[in-house]
Amino acid sequence: MEIAFRQPKDVVVEVTGLQVRLGDTQVLKGVSLRVRKGSIVALIGPNGSGKTTLLRCLLGLQPVDSGSVRLFGKVPGPESFRRVGYVPQRLQVDRSFILTVREFLAIRLPATRGWFWRSTHFIDAQLKELVADLDVERLLDRPLAGLSGGQLQRVLICSSLLNKPELLLLDEPTAGVDTPGEKDFYELISTVHRRLGLTVVLVSHDLSMVYRHASWVYALNGVICCEGPPEDVMSADSLKQAYGIHMTPYQHHHHVH
Amino acid sequence: MSIEPFMQRALLAALVMGPLCGFMGVFVTARRMSFFSDTIAHAALAGVALGFWLGVKDPTLPMIIFSLAVALLILWLKERTDLLNDTIMALLLSGSVAFGMVVLSLLKGFRNELDRFLFGDIFSVGWGDVQVAMGVAVGVSYLLFRHLNALALLTAHEDLAHVSGIPVRRMNQLFVILLTVTVALSIRLLGIVLVTSLIVVPPATARNLAQSLRQQIILSLFLGLSGAVGGVALSYPLNLPGGPCITLTLIAFFIFSLLISKLIRPNRSSPCPL
Repeated sequence: MEIAFRQPKDVVVEVTGLQVRLGDTQVLKGVSLRVRKGSIVALIGPNGSGKTTLLRCLLGLQPVDSGSVRLFGKVPGPESFRRVGYVPQRLQVDRSFILTVREFLAIRLPATRGWFWRSTHFIDAQLKELVADLDVERLLDRPLAGLSGGQLQRVLICSSLLNKPELLLLDEPTAGVDTPGEKDFYELISTVHRRLGLTVVLVSHDLSMVYRHASWVYALNGVICCEGPPEDVMSADSLKQAYGIHMTPYQHHHHVH
Repeated sequence: MSIEPFMQRALLAALVMGPLCGFMGVFVTARRMSFFSDTIAHAALAGVALGFWLGVKDPTLPMIIFSLAVALLILWLKERTDLLNDTIMALLLSGSVAFGMVVLSLLKGFRNELDRFLFGDIFSVGWGDVQVAMGVAVGVSYLLFRHLNALALLTAHEDLAHVSGIPVRRMNQLFVILLTVTVALSIRLLGIVLVTSLIVVPPATARNLAQSLRQQIILSLFLGLSGAVGGVALSYPLNLPGGPCITLTLIAFFIFSLLISKLIRPNRSSPCPL
């Protein structure tokens, strides 16, 4: 409770001095960051920089060696997870498991928890608004294992919004999605962010999309190398610091924030 | 025409355990736990041998206890070591069978009992066995339906299940315990060697015909029931062993479903691999 009082009200995520060792490798070497309410924050960095480990710490999936993680002022756990929507990179479903999109969504919506005994008509009526908004209606009968990367991400966003979260955490959401699909996906995130006033934290390797859509960027490589608005962080010098090699930042001429 | 009491008991046992294995199998196949199920079935042999060594008349209880111990040991080794799943299971499967065989050969005079457990003997089940099977089937089915959402979400993505408030570790342990009890009790029907067929083939057959998880569960329940009861019903007049007849009936259903799925949906990506 004490921490909740100390923390400014508009800070949704607070990470302080986070250190994590995986085997013999010190993956996070004292990471501190803050995510303010209503922002779209991108975590970028090269492979092995600790992006996904950091996200796993936020989700309470990775034991921490030292430092602290707070979501809404609390240690990550069932209570704070009620306010969180999580979009994983991909699902583990294989062809032998024919969970349809309708069933996957029904499982997670409180009103349709008893989906096995309910009619399709009843389930669709409960899901109607959200699936229509996100253009998932036409996918309801499809098995999850048969969706394309872009379709699956759309369904995962839809599923993560079912519990009306305040914070959306996305792990490399466009890995395995083609370029037009990536663009659609980030536009969908922007729309959802705007319309629902969500805070978004996303791990991404896609610098051009981060440039276009993020409001704040953390460049990570074991430590936070630099942070700031995308146009500052994604200068050649900052990227060199984070990635350790020279990279040309994305240049675009029509950006809108 | 009256049905002999031993046949009544055999049909009832098949009627109860068939659908239960079919239901359980949907999640076993989806979670790639077929080998796990085979390992705990083979571990039962060591339990049977220990039961005889301890002088127990009906070794069902030591069989369940030993299988549970092996199942929990697999989970523990998975969490605490870097060994691959396949390696852990191959190690425990061969170790349990070897241990069971050594104990049985030291005891002597259990050759018939060994065959009974290896290949099943559904016609020897007593009313007590049928009652236990019914009780277990009701209990396990209740728990499976009660935790259906958690199991489905766990199968889709463990981290997503964790963030959705599902106690992942506890749920995995519960599933393993339910699977172990189901497998151990089904050994009386099909024997250690063939019991996995009743867990794996019905959901694989259902997968060829169903278009949703709900359909797959319902079909798999029905196929488990039909295969088990049909196999028992066929074996007696033909004077053939019950367990292999059940397995062959299930496989006949699978081949039939494969042909139907090709006829109905020739463009479907691919049928379920067995």
